[in-house]
Amino acid sequence: MDTKTRDELLKLFQSKLNQTMRLYLETCTRCGICTEACHAYASMGQVRYISAYRHEIVRRIYKRYFKGRGKLWPSVGEAKELSETALDELYEAAYSCTGCRRCMMYCPFGIDTQMLMSIAKLLLVGAHAEPEILTMLADTSIEKGKSLDIFKESFLAGIKRLEAEVVKKWRIEAGKKAIPIDVEGADLLYVALAGAHSIIPAAAVFNAAGEKWTLSFFEAVNFGAFVGDPTRTRLILDRIINEAKRLKVKEVCICECGTAFRTMKQMSGKQPFEVSAITEVHARYLRAGRIKVDKSRFKKKPITYHDPCQIARNAGVIDEPRYILRHLTDDFCEMSPDPRYNWCCGGGGGLVALGEDNLDFRMKSARVKVDQVKATGAEILTTACENCHTQLSNLNDHYKMGVDVQFLSSMVADALVQ
Amino acid sequence: MDIVYYIVLVPMVYVACVIFVVGTVVRLVKLFMTPKHSATLQIFPERRPRWLWALGDAFLLPATRRYKPFFWVVLMLFHLAFLLLIVGHIELIAEIKPFQVIPHEVFLGRGFVGLVLALAVLYFLFRRFVSPTKDLSVPEDYYLLILLFLSVLFGSQMDWARRWYGYDSLSAADYREYLSGLLYLRPHVSIDLTASGHSFMLLLHVFFANLFLLFLPFSQLMHSIFSLPMNKLRRG
Repeated sequence: MDTKTRDELLKLFQSKLNQTMRLYLETCTRCGICTEACHAYASMGQVRYISAYRHEIVRRIYKRYFKGRGKLWPSVGEAKELSETALDELYEAAYSCTGCRRCMMYCPFGIDTQMLMSIAKLLLVGAHAEPEILTMLADTSIEKGKSLDIFKESFLAGIKRLEAEVVKKWRIEAGKKAIPIDVEGADLLYVALAGAHSIIPAAAVFNAAGEKWTLSFFEAVNFGAFVGDPTRTRLILDRIINEAKRLKVKEVCICECGTAFRTMKQMSGKQPFEVSAITEVHARYLRAGRIKVDKSRFKKKPITYHDPCQIARNAGVIDEPRYILRHLTDDFCEMSPDPRYNWCCGGGGGLVALGEDNLDFRMKSARVKVDQVKATGAEILTTACENCHTQLSNLNDHYKMGVDVQFLSSMVADALVQ
Repeated sequence: MDIVYYIVLVPMVYVACVIFVVGTVVRLVKLFMTPKHSATLQIFPERRPRWLWALGDAFLLPATRRYKPFFWVVLMLFHLAFLLLIVGHIELIAEIKPFQVIPHEVFLGRGFVGLVLALAVLYFLFRRFVSPTKDLSVPEDYYLLILLFLSVLFGSQMDWARRWYGYDSLSAADYREYLSGLLYLRPHVSIDLTASGHSFMLLLHVFFANLFLLFLPFSQLMHSIFSLPMNKLRRG
């Protein structure tokens, strides 16, 4: 690696060094309490998947360039040069971590591995060594935000084709739009994913609840966050924030996507609107009696729920899905006695978006999740995150779990009582 | 030889203390002047009051108790023994009445506190020779534990000699005279301290303790200070 590249990468490293990051970098005692926390280590037993081992890959570079001790006596802390080999190690550490933050529950100091891996990801972006597909998808999202007029017509035509499907699930008054778009003054802006499965059930429930809603032009998923690029993350967020402000909505409701919800909820800063997960909104409708669901719809099928890490442990939506499930079934079985310690599905952090490239790792590293699901004896495995749904479906096929993997929002829509 | 005793017992102690205090303060000031992270790093579900739960996490290590109960017991014994030895050293400088709620001879614990601490440090050290902790450890982890073990061993040995073997050439009063002299900037190393058969124990104890103090502000031992704010971050 030439000096200029290294200096530029170190500037990127420096840009991440806020107070919290320094605490995370300077406090680890390598006690090993986090050893069993990572699903990849628990499933595969390889040391490189222990959280503290991942931290050290970043920490050694930090010691070498940002701590006096690393310059004077590098061997004492095994301080390491930033080199091509170091970049390979950073890639291995960052893209085998789903950012589930389960290890944070084990660490006596609460060190956040996802935060430390964000340094690794940023360095990879700076070195153009990140997974290209993630950057490409992030750039496509950003471009869509810049040139809305170009794709607006095709988007509207596509949505029009979905309206009949929405009406099949919930009949609406004649003349009313099944999927309203660009409605200024709507109460709620729904941000979906690029896919009918994320729009049709949600639209049916909004219509059933009599919500004054509008669909966003943009998809919720934030590939900028997956690739660990703060600039791209912000630009992707800004498209939705600007749309919400333009339409003067009171609430932005994020579809079943963990990263999209957490970035919008926790990283968008103070905004003139509330941010909710669709699960929270559905629970609210049920509590207020705005929608009713038929419990017999899923009768005789035990149901379990996988808490998406970014929505539950990392953003606090824990009671709401259980409240919804109590309305959908009398046969609900918890996956983990404490949702904070629920195993990650193994698909977060952009891993699912990498597709076939890392399918083998995703399957091997999530064996503990499979064991956890099997132990519930459930026939329906429901969740509220696109990534988790894809990963759990892949696991279902790979390990022949024999469960029916469903989105929670789809189950609500399917059980609506007219 | 007297000059070696004097250097270790007086100027080196002052240097170690100054570097410890200045190093700690500078590190804390630099750290807390750095901008904070803008987004929350909280783990849910939320428990309130958050500061009280953070205190519990920092001092009672509930996750460690849950997943590594034996390690938790050793950690708790280690930290408790360490605290009692700090109290013991304060009592060695001057008699402090509130500490005598339970009347005792300096140090507390009849020598067993030092023994527990030494064994705990040995446990911490030896577990680092076994995988997977071995794979996570770096040289400084071993050096610090060895340094601490040596300091505890030689310090405790002086206590054990008095308590268990009736060795009375060096008394608590001798140590008190030496330590209070250091504190009030009137250092005096009496002949009793340097001419006793166990003087080399004192020399080695103070030497390793000095090294430990010198290294502490620049090491991960600062977790003793950082643990609480970090746990507060996790609790939100």
